[in-house]
Amino acid sequence: MAKQNKKPTLNKTNWKAYFKRYWQLYALLALPIIYLIVFKYAPMVYIQIAFKKYSIVESVWNMPLAKNYGFEYFIKAFKNRDFIYALRNTLTLNLLDLLLGFPAPIIFALILNELCFKRFKRVVQTIAYMPHFLSWVIISSLALQLFAPNAGLVNMMIKDLGGEAIPFLNDPAHWVGTYIGLGVWQSFGWNSIVYLAAIAGINPELYEAASVDGAGRFRKMWHITLPGIKPTIVVLLIMNLGNILGSNFDRPFALQNNLVMQVADVISTFVYRFGIKGLQFSLTTAVGLFQSVVGVFFLLMANWISRKLGERGIW
Amino acid sequence: MKKKILSVLLACTMVLSVAACGDSDNGTSQPTGGDSAGSANVSTDNTGSDAGAAAGELVDGKFAETRQITVEIYDRGNDGGSDPENNMYTEYIKKGMLEDHNVEVTFKKVPRWTEVEEINNLLAAGDAPDICVTYSYPTIQTYAQMGGVIDLSSYVDTYKDQLPNLWNWLTETNIYWDKDPSTGNLWAIEAKLAVSNRVLTFVRQDWLDKLNMKAPTTKAEFENMLIAFRDNAELLLGADASKMVPYSVSYDVGWRAATLIESFLDPNMSDREYYINGFDDRKLTQNGTKDAIKLLNKWYNDGLMWKDFALYGSGDTTEDDYMKAGYVGAFTHNWDYPYRNGEDSINANLKRNVGEDAKFVAIDCFEDKNGNYTKFVSGPIDRKVFFPSTNDEPLASMLYLDWISDPEHIHYLQTGDEGVTHTVTADGAIAIQPATGDAIMNSGMNIDYTITCNGLKLISEELTNKSRALNYPGIDAADVLSAHTIANTDLRIGKNVNVGAIEAEEGVGDTLSSKRDIVYDNAVVASVADFDSVWESGLSDYLAAGGQAIIDERTAKWEQFFGSSDMLP
Repeated sequence: MAKQNKKPTLNKTNWKAYFKRYWQLYALLALPIIYLIVFKYAPMVYIQIAFKKYSIVESVWNMPLAKNYGFEYFIKAFKNRDFIYALRNTLTLNLLDLLLGFPAPIIFALILNELCFKRFKRVVQTIAYMPHFLSWVIISSLALQLFAPNAGLVNMMIKDLGGEAIPFLNDPAHWVGTYIGLGVWQSFGWNSIVYLAAIAGINPELYEAASVDGAGRFRKMWHITLPGIKPTIVVLLIMNLGNILGSNFDRPFALQNNLVMQVADVISTFVYRFGIKGLQFSLTTAVGLFQSVVGVFFLLMANWISRKLGERGIW
Repeated sequence: MKKKILSVLLACTMVLSVAACGDSDNGTSQPTGGDSAGSANVSTDNTGSDAGAAAGELVDGKFAETRQITVEIYDRGNDGGSDPENNMYTEYIKKGMLEDHNVEVTFKKVPRWTEVEEINNLLAAGDAPDICVTYSYPTIQTYAQMGGVIDLSSYVDTYKDQLPNLWNWLTETNIYWDKDPSTGNLWAIEAKLAVSNRVLTFVRQDWLDKLNMKAPTTKAEFENMLIAFRDNAELLLGADASKMVPYSVSYDVGWRAATLIESFLDPNMSDREYYINGFDDRKLTQNGTKDAIKLLNKWYNDGLMWKDFALYGSGDTTEDDYMKAGYVGAFTHNWDYPYRNGEDSINANLKRNVGEDAKFVAIDCFEDKNGNYTKFVSGPIDRKVFFPSTNDEPLASMLYLDWISDPEHIHYLQTGDEGVTHTVTADGAIAIQPATGDAIMNSGMNIDYTITCNGLKLISEELTNKSRALNYPGIDAADVLSAHTIANTDLRIGKNVNVGAIEAEEGVGDTLSSKRDIVYDNAVVASVADFDSVWESGLSDYLAAGGQAIIDERTAKWEQFFGSSDMLP
């Protein structure tokens, strides 16, 4: 804070002095900034494809403007039934993910924190982290081996016990459950790291004081641990809300199949099918742009609300 | 102080790593840089002289200066296959092209099962090979509309004298197949199908024998056979009875039940009707298809089909593994499917895993309404060869197509060296034998290299016929011949309805094919009661996504070119 107050008095010579003194740090900063410029900012030039009639031979600047003042492809997208389905599925799957996947690591971190056998705790932690390192392609083949209606291990066991095979992967409603379940399984361990770190930062004296006052485990959890990690929770929640319309590609793509496309086709896989396989680059750039704009909107909203509620927000 | 030193060190390593990256980049890009510089020189030479004079540069069919071209080659990723860019056959082509035309050839591999996506990416990045090959004409058309493809019409005509093999082999039929009747543009040349064999049904001969059954000749008999397989699973598979799959299809139902679907179409359908509803090569929108799928749906619900088929995507080998392990009773697939790949063929695996007498044989069992076995096969066209606009060497590329169409070269690529890839029998026929290392053909008969020819075509027709059955190492010659005969029974060969580009087809090809698979898959697995509603809603979704627009435009174009006549002239 003190440094920030100095800022306004910083003049040109001062800036040079700073640079001279800390040039190593600036040098370290250069690489990530170059990365951002090359891979994040430069490609933004091509956002204009969304408003133009795409051609592979012409440069972006020379492509003719699309019809309806450049908004032809946005109109086309919203008239496209597949896009509307993809939008709906993206929202549903992401909301379910948020609802079930967001609290999971918090609960896991709280439970881990209460374990008193250090060694057991470490083993549990390591096992919980592991799925994070598996790619979705591998997880989807595991899922096939386990959950296929005929050849899947789980269903074979169910059938041997006299039950009916459960269509984990081939019935739309069941598929959504499998999708969310696998997502939670893959990420809850890894995501709990942040919360564990936050818990470690809580002043132990608070717990001691609470014990003296006669508070039990749940009281301490509720009144000390949770409030202690609240800022972390809020920041992560805001970031997650910014992603409500975003979707990673590999998870739905690897898990989807023809029988569940009605619930499994999300925006990212729609863009892949229409844009890359169907050669409709303008249409899919328009969709991508729409997705980003809505994402930014959600992010700003969540941030604004959290500041209204007295939390810090992310900036 | 310590901190400072550390950060200086860190900064240094970063700078170094950047430098190193830059270096390695230079290292890899240098050859291509050299290439493009070379071709740039050549193209300036070219622009100096017009098309006619460019041919004049050829002395005895050879360029004075060495030219460079790149050629697309499918990468099938076979277990233990040879390197598609560098093996005995690529060496043969490279050497021949350099000697005959002074053209240096470089191969560029593209994964076979995702070829459309891959070629899209390469074209969009300006990195496509000079000679591209694809099965998807709509893709070429879309790129042509964007100005990304070279118009070949002037080249095939101007250089006709330099391209004798190409003209002899493909003839006007295939060369002009895609020529636009109004604009005269020619975006692609159609390779020729040497045999029109398409899709057949195969059945386990040893199971039929065990059950004392005869090979089925009608749909009803086929169904009874499947029921017998299902009910006798214990006898046929013993402990593995639960793995029994009487009839197997994949997620691509339209291909994998093609003969069944075709048996429900009217064999006397007019050319007009067949064309109008014919955009989808899996016949989704043809009249009669629904009944075929309804029958499949019944079989599925009766436990006669592989329950999990829709979960495994393109290129997945699970189904093949089931066939090889001996769990599958019958399936429909490409006419030589169980015989392909030598030692790794389905029949060879069956022999090893199940027993000497275990094998799949071809049958004809889906009768049409006249009691024939009509098979709707395509015209004599196969892959489509095109030159992207980044091709600076259209003449050298045309010469490549000519070279690869030379009967002797096709003969060599299909048979290889005596003693290595084939032996010659007493009556002079060529028998293919399993090869090793560099001599392994990644595709049957090396069709991936003979890009203007698909199917066995040896130096003489007599030799071809004699050798056909011996083309599959380890497979009973009689089985191959019988499959070949059945595949040629009651053919209805597709005709070229050339009405120019259909605008509604642009850019929707892949979207519609994936939609079609969704319609088929969901209809097959629906409950019998739901079948009609699932089919109707799926089909209407397909039509709304562009299918109807194509049908309408095709109807209009037919009227424009052929008036009210029902058949092609």
